[in-house]
Formats: sequence, C-alpha cells, structure tokens
Amino acid sequence: MKFVIFAGTPGSGKTSVVKYVIQELRADFKLFFAKFDCLKTEDDKFIAERYEIPTIKKLAGELCPDHYTALKIPKIIEENQDKDVVILETAGLCLRCSPYIKEGLGINVLDITSGNPSRYGPILTDADVVAISKGDLISQAEREIFRANVLMVNKKATLVEVNGLTGEGATDIVEAIQSSLEIKTKKLTLKHSMPSALCGYCYGNRIIDEKEEQQRALVGKKLKNLVPGLNCGKCGFKSCNEFIRAVLDGKAKKEQCPFIKNK
Amino acid sequence: MKTEIEKITILPGVNKFGEKEKFEKIEIKKGEIIAIVGSTGAGKSQLLYDIEKLTQGDSKSKRKILVNDKKPDKKIRFDPKKKLIASLSQSMNFLTDISVKDFLSLHLKARGKKFDSKLIKEVIDEANEITGEPILPEMNILNLSGGQSRALMISDVANVSISPVILIDEIENAGINKEKAMQILVEEGKIVLIVTHDPVLAFNTDKRVVIKNGGIIKILKTDLKEKDIGHYFNWIGNYNLEIREKIRNGEKVEKVKLFCEPIK
Repeated sequence: MKFVIFAGTPGSGKTSVVKYVIQELRADFKLFFAKFDCLKTEDDKFIAERYEIPTIKKLAGELCPDHYTALKIPKIIEENQDKDVVILETAGLCLRCSPYIKEGLGINVLDITSGNPSRYGPILTDADVVAISKGDLISQAEREIFRANVLMVNKKATLVEVNGLTGEGATDIVEAIQSSLEIKTKKLTLKHSMPSALCGYCYGNRIIDEKEEQQRALVGKKLKNLVPGLNCGKCGFKSCNEFIRAVLDGKAKKEQCPFIKNK
Repeated sequence: MKTEIEKITILPGVNKFGEKEKFEKIEIKKGEIIAIVGSTGAGKSQLLYDIEKLTQGDSKSKRKILVNDKKPDKKIRFDPKKKLIASLSQSMNFLTDISVKDFLSLHLKARGKKFDSKLIKEVIDEANEITGEPILPEMNILNLSGGQSRALMISDVANVSISPVILIDEIENAGINKEKAMQILVEEGKIVLIVTHDPVLAFNTDKRVVIKNGGIIKILKTDLKEKDIGHYFNWIGNYNLEIREKIRNGEKVEKVKLFCEPIK
C-alpha cells in the first residue's frame, strides 16, 4: 500500500488537486480517502459520491490538529490493508508541525500568492513534493522566482505546478505517487517532531497571568505522568491531553480515567 | 548547460475518437512561429502540454515529440532546472512590492545568473519598443499598466529565460505592439508556439496548426496575402496605441488617418 498525505493551508487548492489525482488513479487502483479538518468538512461525502470510493472524515476539534492526525494514521493504515493507495488530506495544521511520515509520500499544496515560502515550517521544508497552485494568476517571471525560493528552503522536493481548475499537474503528482515506496513496516515515524503540552496554555488555560499559567502547567504535568498516554477514550474524552484539560477546568474527575483509578 | 534546440518534430497521435491523426510529421525550426487554432475544447492546450512535457506516446493524445530528430533524453524531460520550454502565462499580474530593476535582478538570480545591469537595461529597452508608455527602471512593478506588464514579461522571456521554446496560451494583448513582440521573441532564436485567434498574431506566423476533436486536422501555411492582412490589423492596433498615448498625455486629436502605411 502507498500512503500519501496532502497538506496545505486552507484555500490553497488541496481538495481540487486531490480530486483530479483520484480521477486519474481510480480506474487502476483501489483507493481510500481520509479527510482531516479542524471543525467542519463535507469533502468526504462529496468524494465518496462523485468517485465512488470509500472515505472517512476526522475532525480534530479541541485537539492540536497535527497531534490528532498522527494519532489516527496507524488505524487508517491497519483498516485499509486491501487498498493500493490511501490518500489523507489535512487542512488542520499549525505551521510549527507537519503530519508527514517517513514511510509515506508528503505533498504540500502551496498557494503561490501566499508570500515568501521561507515563512513556512516543516509543512513545506519536509515535503517530498511541493505542488505550487494558482500560478496562472501571476507572471511567469514571478513564478520562477517563487520556484527558486521554494528550492532554497527545500532542496530535495520535486516541484510540480498545479491548477485546481483545469487539473494541470495532476499527472505529475500521479507519477510521484506511483514511484513512491510501499508501506511495509508497522512502525511509523513522523518526519518532524511535535511540541507536546509544555505550558499551562497547552493545558487549556485562558487567563493571561504568569502564576495561573505556571500553576496549571505544574498540575497538568503531574496528571500527564499519571495518565497512560494511550488515548483509549475510556474516560469519555478523545485523548489524554483533552482529559487533563477537563480535569484542570473542573469538568471531569481524575478518577474517570480507569488507569488512575486502578493505581 | 544550454541545450541547443534546432528543431522540434511532432509525430501523429490519435484524436478523441481514437482515430490516427492524418499527417506524417510536423517540423518546427528555430526562429519559426506556429499558431495553434481551433474552437474551445478542441484540444489546443493538450498539444502545448505534449510539447512542454516532450511526451513519448504517454499522454492522452499519444503524440510523440522529437528534439533535433531524436527522442529526447529522459534527463531533459524530468529535470526542472533544465527547462527547455518556457510558458508565457495568460495573466501578467505581479505580487511583489519592488522596482522593475530589482525585480529583473531577482529573476536573474532565480535563474542562477549573476547580476547584469547591461542585460537588465536591454530587457527594459526592448519592452519599451513593445509598449507605448515608457517603463522606467525605478518604477514599482505593482504600478505598471497592463500593456507595460505584458511588454516587460515578453521582453523578459526573450532575454532572461534560456528556454529555446516559448509556449504562449491565449495571451491578453491589449496595449502592446504585437508584431514587434513576436519579432523580439524570434530574433532571439526561439521557437514560438502560440494559441491565438487574433488576426495579427495568427497571420504573423509561418504555419497554422488546426485542431478539431482532439486531433490535428490541417496544417496551413500562412501566405503573403494573409501576412498583409495581419500587417494591416497591426497597423490599426498601433494607431490605436498612438491615439491612446495622445489621450493619456492630454492632447487633442484633430483628424483620423484613413490609410495604413504598411511596414515592410
């Protein structure tokens, strides 16, 4: 199975490009499409209806979107062993992280009108393929300057110019997918590290106050040592971090976690 | 680094119905201009795509493209740094807040070339031959008019870009001297392929490739009579530019010129 992650800021044209890629691939390959977003999306239904392939929707909600994506990847892979290509599209991103995994293909859809590429972090610098969108909006000279700037921050990337309206460039992406490696190992690794809950704000503090922040971070870290970190959901929350936040907010009791209770 | 292209050859593929195209081969030599014509959706852009990707029967049309009578090296096909073919985009907008001079030097840098004030001057000078309103090196590119932007980008493709083949897809052409623009591109020894139905551009070519239902159905040689008609339309266009300049400068226009003076 080949595992492909499309990532990019909202409005960069990811879904349009993904549609054309699915269109090209679906005759010859068994596909699965997973759409990750923060709050709301209907793209999963749309793709399922138009291209008649199985899809799934995942919303990060309260959670850090890249953490959430990383947590869900193993299950998606496990459940789709019979597929040839699994495509994951994520719009839920903070630019500090990237959801790419070493074993799969990472594609960053980058809007050419979004300014100097050096402002982006691992979402661009760790991508295997950079699909530059909306190039038809500007002159060819500025397009070339943009390409050179992308190569300055990511020398290894394959650059493809895509057009979400006409489907131009989709065949180049399909080629990159076809020549990417199959996932063989069960052990998957992120291409880039993520910051974990480090400060009181990560634990859900909203009052802007140093003492409050420190207090919350302290209690939060203690709880973090107690929870199993399995994100099993038995406490009623999506993840251990979300559970800790609820405990700190007084919305949940720590005994709700079966692992803490049994200690 | 520079790969000389003397000639491009298009070998027949199939149309939308899978029927073989009825020509033996189309040869396009250095310095030639070819128009690609046909109705919307006929498959004009597919031909540009085939040439841009130097396809070897692996695209929808199944056409094969030869360079200098040979199958092109795989390295040339897939190495983005060795771009043999430059496309002149339909849109000529700019985003960067920068002067014309600095923009051109950025572009030179992006192309891996050193700063060259002589070349930058040449690009601006030639652009000024294409447009009526003069471009100055210190002007901000965001403030250029449509005609100025187009003129600057045509001159940029001719002078800065090392790509020997230029593809032009339905260029917006208001505010420029079209014949002059084509002349500048061809003088630099480029092969120019242009999708257009503008009489000046279409008749200012060596051949017109006609496309229908995804296939090339005809190759017309542009004859002298057609070239004359093209000149005439260009004259009208330039006269239009001249009057525009007068209006822009706050002048009165007293009478109209009725007869064109063909440039030969």
